[in-house]
Amino acid sequence: MMGGACSRKRDQQVNEDSGNRGIYGRYCKSGSSKWLGNSISRLAVDNKQGKTKCPSLMELCIYKIREDIDKYSSFSMLPRDISQQIFNELVYSQCLTEVSLGAFRDCALQDLDLGEYPGLEDSWMDVISSQELSLLSVDLSGSDVTDSGLIHLKNCTNLQAMNFNYSDQISDHGLEHISGLSNLATLSFRRNNQITAQGLSVLSGLVNLLKLDLERCPGIHGGLVHLKGLTKLESLNIKCCNCITDADMKPLSGLTNLKELQISSSKVSDYGVTFLKGLHKLSLLNMEGCPVTAACLDCLAVEMCGVDLISSLFCPALPALLYLNLSRCNLSDDGCEKISGNTLIAQSNLLSVMCSVGLRKLKVLNLGFNDITDAYLVHLRGLQRLRCLELSDTEVGSNGLRHLAGLTSLVSINLSFTVVTDSGLKKLSGLASLTSLNLDARQITDAGLASLTSLTGLMHLDLFGARITDSGTNYLKNFKNLRSLEICGGGLTDAGVKNIKDLSSLTVLNLSQNNNLTDKTLELISGLTQLVSLNVSNSRITTAGLQHLRSLKNLKSLNLDSCKVTAYDIEKLQSTDLPNLVSFRPE
Amino acid sequence: MKKEDTVKLISADGFEFVIDKKAAMVSQTIRNMLTSPGSFAETQHGEVTFPEISTTILEKICQYFYWSLQYARSISVGSGKETEFHIEPELTLELMMAANYLHT
Repeated sequence: MMGGACSRKRDQQVNEDSGNRGIYGRYCKSGSSKWLGNSISRLAVDNKQGKTKCPSLMELCIYKIREDIDKYSSFSMLPRDISQQIFNELVYSQCLTEVSLGAFRDCALQDLDLGEYPGLEDSWMDVISSQELSLLSVDLSGSDVTDSGLIHLKNCTNLQAMNFNYSDQISDHGLEHISGLSNLATLSFRRNNQITAQGLSVLSGLVNLLKLDLERCPGIHGGLVHLKGLTKLESLNIKCCNCITDADMKPLSGLTNLKELQISSSKVSDYGVTFLKGLHKLSLLNMEGCPVTAACLDCLAVEMCGVDLISSLFCPALPALLYLNLSRCNLSDDGCEKISGNTLIAQSNLLSVMCSVGLRKLKVLNLGFNDITDAYLVHLRGLQRLRCLELSDTEVGSNGLRHLAGLTSLVSINLSFTVVTDSGLKKLSGLASLTSLNLDARQITDAGLASLTSLTGLMHLDLFGARITDSGTNYLKNFKNLRSLEICGGGLTDAGVKNIKDLSSLTVLNLSQNNNLTDKTLELISGLTQLVSLNVSNSRITTAGLQHLRSLKNLKSLNLDSCKVTAYDIEKLQSTDLPNLVSFRPE
Repeated sequence: MKKEDTVKLISADGFEFVIDKKAAMVSQTIRNMLTSPGSFAETQHGEVTFPEISTTILEKICQYFYWSLQYARSISVGSGKETEFHIEPELTLELMMAANYLHT
């Protein structure tokens, strides 16, 4: 067959995080469903590229089949790569039904990405399993498929990836049916209340697993012992299970191929972390919200080879660590405490050296929402490769920032809700690589902004609650690369917006809460044609001002809540001039 | 029309379609055949035979080539006069297999 001659690459693996959601996350703070996300992005693509690119004959044929889908009873005579494309289109456009699925019986399809597909239930499983040995990945997330539905998959022994996240009706019994699928490399069943430690025993046979996702499974405490033999495992997610304790960490100590470990919001303490010390390939460790203390950082940095501290400096416990999330833990300024029998009373500066040697590759560090102060930042001084640092909601103040002055690799710093003041910001002025800075704190004013004018590479500047006035906006002119800007402290008038109107790279602009802004503001920003998201809520904007938005063809999100504007006015503008607008308020 | 500006596409049942080279190049597969530096017979004679594509389907494909050029032209001048390409339901599957082969 002709189609078989040039079989296309499998480019669509089961994907537990919808890419679209990620993109839209930046612009829409309210979560949208996967399907809404899909239809939105497609619309945008149709508008953006569809106009310039001619649809291929292949695409035209597939759309035609979608239109006439009732006329087809079987696609099994088609080469696999073609029937796969038809299937994907039907799923994408949500035209697949139980009846039309029947046409795909015995089509040797490889990927059935049916995550969150409406109506999917056990009666669909017969056709799904008819793909038999061809089936490589299946996503049944959010479906009504039950334990008995999974029986069908027994014969699909080539399955490499399987997702049934948010599938409330699958329990330990269902898991038994997949015990023979030893080619599985990816397995994910997030948010499942029924699966218990006993159910996890089937995992011990899945020796090829690389990626296992058990996020939000509250019944699995004690079950991780079954992972002991899964030495190929590279990624394990047991976030938010509410039942994971120090004891559950012990079986992980031998999984030396682990690169990513997510144990956030569990009960793991410093003692549990000691079991992770041999994970030499670990590059991502997320312990957000775990009751660990500063001692754990010390433990992660250095493997306790003996009593001789100096020699132990040279055997970092987690030499590959790049991402460390210790947000919302029990960190404080106290140095070391008792760690598994080794009593250490470390001097501050010694701890600092240990951190810099042991974690020297660290790229991303999240210490937000901890009771740490300036003294703690001493430990970060040697982290020369650090790119992102989160310190929001800590007691860090201006004095501590001097310890960051030498971290010239820093690209992103979050200092929101800290006690940093204007005078401290000078110490950041040499961080020429910074592209993202969050200074959402009430005590930051125009004076602070004045000391940052050297940071000309800034792309994201968040001054949400800072008290910026019109005169402060003069300094914004230096930030020609800004993509997103938030100034919502109430101090801006139209005069200040004059200094924003030439920041032509802006895609996200939030000037909410500045209740003196008038229609003049909209006129001023009408040249910011890259804008995707605009928020001028709580201002004196009126319907008359809306005409100035006509030029903002890329606008997807518009918030004019608490203005003299109605949903009807915006809808009118949307239909005539803003085809990409998908989210607006008032609605 | 000069001979070197055209190509001859020959269907399974021997029917010949002489079309603009530019139109034929809409197909990635034909483009590769006609432009690859190797010594494809197709390159030399400006002739391509498709032993698996029927005359009906090959005619439809040639129509698509020209439709595609027209579509692109209409986009570039912004006339907004893009027409729809009609596909007969009974041809769809066979046409799709050919389109897949021709990377069109």
